[in-house]
Amino acid sequence: MIEKEDSIISEEEAAQYDRQIRLWGLDAQKRLRGSRVLLVGLRGLGAEVAKNLILAGVKGLTMLDHELVTEESCRAQFLIPVNNQGQNRAQASLERAQYLNPMVEVKADTDRVETKPDEFFLQFEAVCLTGCSRDLMVRVDQLCFQHNIKLFCGDVFGYHGYMFSDLGQEHNYVEEKPKVVKPKTEESNDGPEAKKTKIDPNETTMIKKTACFCSLKLALEVDWTNEKAKSSLKHTPHFSTTQSIVFSPFVPLFVPTVLLKFRTDKGRDPHPESFEADAMLLRQIRDDVLEAMGLSSDLLPHDFVSYCFSEMAPVCAVVGGVLGQEVVKALSQRDAPHKNFFFFDGMKGSGVVDYFGPK
Amino acid sequence: MVQLVGSLRKELADSLSACRVLVVGAGGIGCELLKNLVLTGFKNIEVIDLDIIDVSNLNRQFLFQKKHVGKSKAQVAKESVLQFCPTANITAYHDSIMNPEYNVEFFRNFMLVMNALDNRAARNHVNRMCLAADIPLIESGTAGYLGQVTVIKKGLTECYECQPKPTQKTFPGCTIRNTPSEPIHCIVWAKYLFNQLFGEEDADQEVSPDTADPELSWNPADTEARATASDQDGDIKRVSTKDWARSTGYDAVKLFNKLFKDDIQYLLTMDKLWKKRKAPLPLDWLEIQKLACPQEVTGTGLKDQQVLGVAGYSQLFSRSVETLRSMLADKGDGAELVWDKDDPPAMDFVTAAANLRMHIFSMNMKSRFDIKSMAGNIIPAIATTNAVIAGLIVLEALKILSGDVEQCRTIFLNKQPNPRKKLLVPCALDPPSANCYVCASKPEVTVKLNVHNTLVLALQDKILKEKFGMVAPDVQIEDGKGTILISSEEGETEANNSKFLSDFGIRHGSRLQVDDFLQDYTLLVNVIHCEDLEKDVEFEVVGDAPDKAPTPPSAQEDKNVANGNKDSAEPSTSSKAPAEQDDVLIVDSDEEEPSSSTMDVRMESGGHKRKLHDAETGEASAKRQRLDQPLAADEEDDDIIALD
Repeated sequence: MIEKEDSIISEEEAAQYDRQIRLWGLDAQKRLRGSRVLLVGLRGLGAEVAKNLILAGVKGLTMLDHELVTEESCRAQFLIPVNNQGQNRAQASLERAQYLNPMVEVKADTDRVETKPDEFFLQFEAVCLTGCSRDLMVRVDQLCFQHNIKLFCGDVFGYHGYMFSDLGQEHNYVEEKPKVVKPKTEESNDGPEAKKTKIDPNETTMIKKTACFCSLKLALEVDWTNEKAKSSLKHTPHFSTTQSIVFSPFVPLFVPTVLLKFRTDKGRDPHPESFEADAMLLRQIRDDVLEAMGLSSDLLPHDFVSYCFSEMAPVCAVVGGVLGQEVVKALSQRDAPHKNFFFFDGMKGSGVVDYFGPK
Repeated sequence: MVQLVGSLRKELADSLSACRVLVVGAGGIGCELLKNLVLTGFKNIEVIDLDIIDVSNLNRQFLFQKKHVGKSKAQVAKESVLQFCPTANITAYHDSIMNPEYNVEFFRNFMLVMNALDNRAARNHVNRMCLAADIPLIESGTAGYLGQVTVIKKGLTECYECQPKPTQKTFPGCTIRNTPSEPIHCIVWAKYLFNQLFGEEDADQEVSPDTADPELSWNPADTEARATASDQDGDIKRVSTKDWARSTGYDAVKLFNKLFKDDIQYLLTMDKLWKKRKAPLPLDWLEIQKLACPQEVTGTGLKDQQVLGVAGYSQLFSRSVETLRSMLADKGDGAELVWDKDDPPAMDFVTAAANLRMHIFSMNMKSRFDIKSMAGNIIPAIATTNAVIAGLIVLEALKILSGDVEQCRTIFLNKQPNPRKKLLVPCALDPPSANCYVCASKPEVTVKLNVHNTLVLALQDKILKEKFGMVAPDVQIEDGKGTILISSEEGETEANNSKFLSDFGIRHGSRLQVDDFLQDYTLLVNVIHCEDLEKDVEFEVVGDAPDKAPTPPSAQEDKNVANGNKDSAEPSTSSKAPAEQDDVLIVDSDEEEPSSSTMDVRMESGGHKRKLHDAETGEASAKRQRLDQPLAADEEDDDIIALD
């Protein structure tokens, strides 16, 4: 898939990437070095992903965003220097992004992503969408799926965040496992009294594996009400016999579902300036979504709405970190990818990986 | 009505902009943390770091650029942050947090302290300062793909030192000097050799064959053989290595033949050692030169990852000795070099010497890349792990500042989700340990040692400072006279240093009151006199896990802490108290699958990687069991919905 350039790693690269080459190996670093990535959306989450990928040493990163810098975005994002109000967000982020690693080709594109023709996406090995509408994400994902381009989406809503990945029908990768060293064989000789389970960094094997992903469309086409979805019913001593406890795997999907619906309806995310009106709409959507799922609206605390506004910097850091690492794994074809969603709840500090889609 | 400022409720946002916080460390976690703090709305931040920027930092310490290499991390971090947030009020200190200037009063200025450190000594120290000042502390660490965050609050939670930690592993002298069986033994030997030749000579870092090896039984018939085998330039037992080297003008060939031929031949006369082991094969300089063939640069790998042949390493040995010799000469009389993994000739020297020794002892030689990892205790590190952990730190900080300390958790970041699908695993914080030798109300410890041959200096440096983490201890003997054994004031008790404890009447059952006034810490030490400690063991703390080389069965290894480091167990490669990079807090690995594919416990200098989850101390099993239980009270579970 991604052809690793069989070129020599320069001394400069070896010195700068030393600590990560020691973790994921030279091969992985070369694959990263041959990859071009498209990043859509340069708000808080986008900036984190940009930083992580540029530091990792991809070949090129194109930052696409049509929005302008507002006073609020100065606070939300560390790539944009102050006093850049009115400038395009991607453009304003360019200089500091490039400084992160001069060895990466960083570009800014100020177009609306909706206006980009299909061919535009084909120049990339991976596409990462943030702040996009559900429909756009589904459309771009379908295009990427057809052309073996790795697709990632992610968003942060206040204290909550999620990421989704679609690495295609068949994503091949390797896992490095230690080779157990047997004593007194010709192969591995680590000393006159080498113990049986010596783990030697030179003695590892690469195991090839494959993972299959589904499209975003299929992932979101969950049938909330079918029996399987409701999982098992359980009684526990904590509750009276009239109550039952249901394990629902859909809990983490609630907030992203509600917020993405808001985004589709209003063309923007909830804004603190219109807190009252937005909160009301959020509660309305919440009720609709829960009803469709056949579950009580007591599920989410009444004030959940106040934790969904804006993008919390530390939540962007967490989601951006996980998302960034998934992109690195996919491009380097090393280590098992998370399949296919990651959800983070900043109130609780819990981060779960779960799969939604056809079995 | 809820008022929001960004994502935060107004009351919280207001308190953030008013409070002062301290960040200790401006490296991998520190850079990410500073960025998160200002973006979240913290306005008054102080950051301290003693280090300067190195090119290998640039893959993750994103506030620094190439042009900043050599400059102060704290200073440059501050300047970088001001670029995107000029209204932040940041004070940067290019200094060590262990400097007495940063006393309890200093710490009391802050609402919150956040560690972003890489070594245990500093962590212990900050732990005590925060206990003394009663300020909440957020501790964290990362290694490779793994990370952890936890909160420490006096009286409410465990402190950093509540759980005894296994100390850094060291190897017995005879293993290093006579019978190495693993590459690490040879690497340790090579580092000792560097110090003996070019650096500070240390009695604990002998490289010559050890005739006091307990495996040898002294046989008079051997004496003759030994005398003949010892090299012509002097009896190796009587002349110091440095003096001998100097006398030959640091002649590389002579050095080579002494270390890799003569000394090995001497070892061969100790035939008891080789009854069950493969005997070492001495090398000869001239013979090797005959074998030499031009080294081809093969492949597209890193130059450092190539493994040369014996001839290649002999050449490297010779070249590096030459370079180091002239570096030493340039420094003038009485000069000493300090080993540094990033100093090419020093690293070349250790690579060559270690490999030659490995070859002699029938071990596969290793690349410079791998040796550097082991010799330099390098922890692989990436940006994303630090980003996640630093995000979690700020979220915990917000809970503390909202007055919701009971919401705080220890959170582990795994490489792969656990069986319950969690990649980030929050766990309830533990209450303080009643027996903690730091935070208990009147902490006490019991130490086993030989009062007749333990020096006062050793008590101060090895026991009180290294083991018990004190910075400036004052020691009084509880002998009814209040005899002062050690004073932290310079010069006051210098004369006592070279005396033995028994010289002061200290014996079995004696009690010592030890104070560190900087840390506002008093520890009572009970002395047990013991005459049969293991060889090379100077003291033992009663109640600690015995220090031993880890040989856990592989199944257990898989369950142990993952630290993202691919090497085998790393013991200390330097005998001195470490300021070296190292550790990371414990990370609870996945119970079913190792979080990192080549996991092993890493116990090395200065720090240490295993805290709670140590199978050897038995504490792990108790702890892990708790986490294993489904719906354990301490593990969060938000998957449950109650239906009416």
